[in-house]
Amino acid sequence: MISLIYSFIFLPVINSILVFLIPDRRKELFRPLTIYLSLIPLGLCLYMFVNQNLKTSFLEVDSIPWITAYGIDLIIGFSGMSFLLITLNCLLVLLSILSVNQEHAESKGFLGSIMLLQAAVNGVFLAGDLVSLFIFFEALLIPMYFLMGIWGGSNRRYATIKFILYTVFGSIFILAGTIYTGVLSYISSGKFALDFESIASMSITTSQSEILFLLFTFGFLVKVPLFPLHTWLPDAHVEAPTAGSILLAGVLLKVGAYGILRVSIPFFTEGFLRYQFIIAFLSVVGIIYGAIIAIVQIDIKKLIAYSSISHMGFVMLGISAGRYLSLEGAVIQMINHGITSGALFMLVGFLYDRRHTRRISDFGGLKKSMPIYASIFLFTSFASIGLPGLNGFVGEFMILMGSYPTFKVLTSFAAFGVVLAAIYMLWAYQRMFNGQLDNDENSVLTDLNSKELVAISPLLALMLFIGIYPSFIESYVVQDVSVIYESISNLIGVSQ
Amino acid sequence: MSEISVAIGFNLIVISPTIALVGTALVLLFFTITIESNELVKQSITFIGMLITAFCVFLKFGLFFENGISSYFTQKILLDEFSLFGNVLISLILLFNFLPIWDSSKQLKEKTTEAIILTLMSASGFMLMVDSENLIMLFIGLEIGSISLYALAGLNRGDKLSNEASLKYFLLGSLASCILIYGVSLVYVSFSVFSVYNFAIGIAYVGPDSVPLTTSIGVLLIFIGLLFKIAAAPFQSWAPDVYQGSPTGYVGFMSSIAKVSSFIVIARICLVSINFIIEDFNIFFLIVIISSALIGSLFASIQEDLKRLLAYSGVVQSGFILSGIVAGVNGTSASMFYLFTYILQLIGIFIIFSIINGKLSSEFNIQSIQGLFTNNRFLAASFCVFMFGLAGIPLTSGFVSKFILLTNLWAYEKYLIVSILLLSTVAGFYFYLRPIWMATIEKTEAPIETLKLKKSEYFVITTLATLTIFFGLVPSSLINISRWIVQNYL
Repeated sequence: MISLIYSFIFLPVINSILVFLIPDRRKELFRPLTIYLSLIPLGLCLYMFVNQNLKTSFLEVDSIPWITAYGIDLIIGFSGMSFLLITLNCLLVLLSILSVNQEHAESKGFLGSIMLLQAAVNGVFLAGDLVSLFIFFEALLIPMYFLMGIWGGSNRRYATIKFILYTVFGSIFILAGTIYTGVLSYISSGKFALDFESIASMSITTSQSEILFLLFTFGFLVKVPLFPLHTWLPDAHVEAPTAGSILLAGVLLKVGAYGILRVSIPFFTEGFLRYQFIIAFLSVVGIIYGAIIAIVQIDIKKLIAYSSISHMGFVMLGISAGRYLSLEGAVIQMINHGITSGALFMLVGFLYDRRHTRRISDFGGLKKSMPIYASIFLFTSFASIGLPGLNGFVGEFMILMGSYPTFKVLTSFAAFGVVLAAIYMLWAYQRMFNGQLDNDENSVLTDLNSKELVAISPLLALMLFIGIYPSFIESYVVQDVSVIYESISNLIGVSQ
Repeated sequence: MSEISVAIGFNLIVISPTIALVGTALVLLFFTITIESNELVKQSITFIGMLITAFCVFLKFGLFFENGISSYFTQKILLDEFSLFGNVLISLILLFNFLPIWDSSKQLKEKTTEAIILTLMSASGFMLMVDSENLIMLFIGLEIGSISLYALAGLNRGDKLSNEASLKYFLLGSLASCILIYGVSLVYVSFSVFSVYNFAIGIAYVGPDSVPLTTSIGVLLIFIGLLFKIAAAPFQSWAPDVYQGSPTGYVGFMSSIAKVSSFIVIARICLVSINFIIEDFNIFFLIVIISSALIGSLFASIQEDLKRLLAYSGVVQSGFILSGIVAGVNGTSASMFYLFTYILQLIGIFIIFSIINGKLSSEFNIQSIQGLFTNNRFLAASFCVFMFGLAGIPLTSGFVSKFILLTNLWAYEKYLIVSILLLSTVAGFYFYLRPIWMATIEKTEAPIETLKLKKSEYFVITTLATLTIFFGLVPSSLINISRWIVQNYL
């Protein structure tokens, strides 16, 4: 069991080393080998789903003494929610490697970086103490830096540095919070115990809790990103290569929300209750703002990037409402958004590989030349909008339902986000796929080949599956959500 | 603090590393002047000399475990954890820099051995400095060490920048030495003692409220003299010019050895006198630390020359290390950890610079490392490791040292300093990642000539990079050592 959990961090690292070891002249080997190698972590995930009881709240599995003089241990553990996110991560890594174009497939640096990123993200979800959480949180910047910097678009330098500086600026607040927690735990217990269990049992005053909540939450919100802190996201998405975008939207944004759910709310609940309205307000602003800005985008990738801001606004609204239903919805929406936005970025990548442009006005009438692509795009758009029967609906509905008792006015405004989503997605679809096929370059585009269909179809299946049978995911997040909800309801003394 | 046992008179083991270094230098000098001998002979003499030095340091450990903290030569030389730590660090610096310095010197036409003699002399001076209990000994050691460094900076006589660097370093360095010795004399005026411990005891005797003004000013001037050597702002103005002008092969040694010894001496003075006078200097140190962090990060962000960038980054790092030292005992131990890891990264970076840039050249534009990745992957990878270490990215020793240091500072409730240092870390991500961008990501049109590394260079760089990562993953042992250094003051 312990070695299984460790293998989620170390297997991708070993995989990437293996890929780096292949000599440069065997270029044709890179992609197949990487695909096979990244099947192993995903296979392990499925094995865990079948053979282990994953429906638990956070369970510490192993601890390694790190700095004995200070009593800091590195803890590793897992819960149902983190396991869902790890599975999502492993799946998206596999699919993004399946979907890479020829140029990236011949670069082992690209494939290796993706695997290192996978290791770091898995580490964040498995971390059982604040130090290892921070280490992995920051370590995932290194592969991301190279992914965006080397294989990004024309303006990649600006976008990469902006992404790094924003994230680091956020993470110094997390570091400060970690240090503050450590000092508080030193005062009460005589050692810098930073594992989740000790922090949960630590008694802190209201003002300390408020400060710590602000420090941690600010850092994580930059990563989510919440409305005024979001400006790095569109730049990063536009400049990142397709695989980078898939992982950025699919899992990296979830790291921030995961941190808030894992650290900020359960441990510093008093601070959460104090600031929940501000976060909810900013989330709703983000929902509306992201959707409106998405409507007027001329670049389809930027449109999806802004839609991500809107969707993550829903997640944050659900989290900040602090109701059982809304928290559950938020976690489900995190998974859903990872699947849908990953699929959308992948589709845009397919189109970009063929046409080398992302301007919506360059397209039109693609439905005629690429019928399969058009139908898949429409399907994914519906999932993103939240059509009942597909996954997007489940999460958003639960969030809106759950948040309404807490924030009546704000939630009513947030509901408009769904309408706006229909406008930007469907209008973009209309402009790109309907109408006359008047551009010659568009008429010769080939439809998706079998390789690309293999890459996209698992995501489509998941959209349908979660839309029809959401209780499957729900059963894995119940335990986590009840822990978070109990910490809130214990304080306000209300039951639902 | 435990009593210092005073062993009267004469114990040559205590200063044996210094003697070994001076002896090696003299033998080399003799060989250079009189007997025609080839490189290999001189190299082996130097190497044997260094091994003897390391062995002497080992002997000092034996003496320490026998006698405990003890002072020798009528309270001039002190044997304590700090001096042992300093000796070990200086020996390591010598060992790691031996080959780059030798290779650089080979390219100087007629002065091949001069550089290595100066290096050994300088190291002997700084050894004396970290051993000194007496303030006059401190000054003598500092001067022996520094004068050799001034000469090293200007060894490439054909290069205008090198001459400029040497002259600047010399003039400003002598000014700093003047300030230091004036401070020593003022301290002497108040208590008629030179020993660091004795004047602290003297201050304790008169009581902290009635410390004579001369003493306060004297100690302040001593600190200013030492802060100059570590290039903390606002005493940093020499560093960028000297780093840029000096032959690249020597800068790693010059910067690291002066920093190590000055930090150790500052740490000892602060710890000895911490209960008596340090509080008067809180504002002074606060200004120094904050301006180091701000000026360093600000100017490092706009440098186009890599050596200047490293100089300003050194200003920031000095601010970090100093903040721990002046905070208290635990802070000092964190700073010693920081110092150790920082020195390893600094030496590694400069060895790489000297390989890319040529050993003797002075200017080193950031553009000239473009395409390093396509040229030599090993160099590019280790360059990234060192730069990530300096920036403090997790999985390198830089993160651990920053984390521990800031934790201690927070425990001392120095929130202002912590926030300033955290902000400078963000700036650090900007200016440390820029060279990495140039080296790995930016494509170059005109490929630079292929870099060939010698086996020894591979070995040194691999060792340093491995240590940087090792202390990032398994820091516990070094942290225990750094706590052992300050154990007497706990």
